[in-house]
Amino acid sequence: MIMASKRLKAEEKWTGRRVDFPVFSDALSKRRAELGNPELARNSGKNRTESKKALLKAIKDAGGNW
Amino acid sequence: MTTYRPEFEAALRLFARVSEAMHELGFQRPILVGGAAAEFYSQSAINTGDFDLCTPRQEALEAEMQKVGFVKPSGAGQMTKGWIHPELRLGFEVVADIPMDGGYDRDTLALIENFTNEGAFVVISVEDLIADRMGQYASGTSRDRLRQAQTLYRLHPSLDKVYLDRRIREETINDYGIEALES
Repeated sequence: MIMASKRLKAEEKWTGRRVDFPVFSDALSKRRAELGNPELARNSGKNRTESKKALLKAIKDAGGNW
Repeated sequence: MTTYRPEFEAALRLFARVSEAMHELGFQRPILVGGAAAEFYSQSAINTGDFDLCTPRQEALEAEMQKVGFVKPSGAGQMTKGWIHPELRLGFEVVADIPMDGGYDRDTLALIENFTNEGAFVVISVEDLIADRMGQYASGTSRDRLRQAQTLYRLHPSLDKVYLDRRIREETINDYGIEALES
């Protein structure tokens, strides 16, 4: 009951935007198609922090393909 | 129909789970920023390497991340402040307490609902994401960010142009405005 009460209070406090994912995703799919499915230029990576470089290496070493 | 790549959807599901856990604890949900936010707003038109998160409750968030399988990398990866999920082979990293040094309007944050029944999650607004890209472009260190910003702008025709223009001017110290996206 306490958790449910806390949760309700936090939801009532939300003043930002609410996005319904299926509606958002469908609209974005259509927009992408209208624009010919543009790709975003990938980051060069030269501004990565040492922490970020180490994390990406760890992901790669684990077999990640991001 | 274009969709998100499976690896990114898996990461979003984990993000939703830990976000909901934070919410259940009475804390604000972490905020997704950076490259993963760009992938979210472009439907995987760019593939990011990991999830950058903002939360003032780093310790609590990382405790929740461990509960869903995140671990500290070993070997050379020990240098990172981030965490990896060995099974899904993805990484999460808390990069700041709040996005963009607090220069954004909190009411523009997006609470993403109905992605999964495991919980909602929060993403920085597309306007702030674009302004962030423009700030990096204007600094001269990331010239590739202009094209990212322009593409994100075209993908979201209903965004708040007044807010976007203000935020670009703030992030670029008035070097650029919304017109830079329309060229």
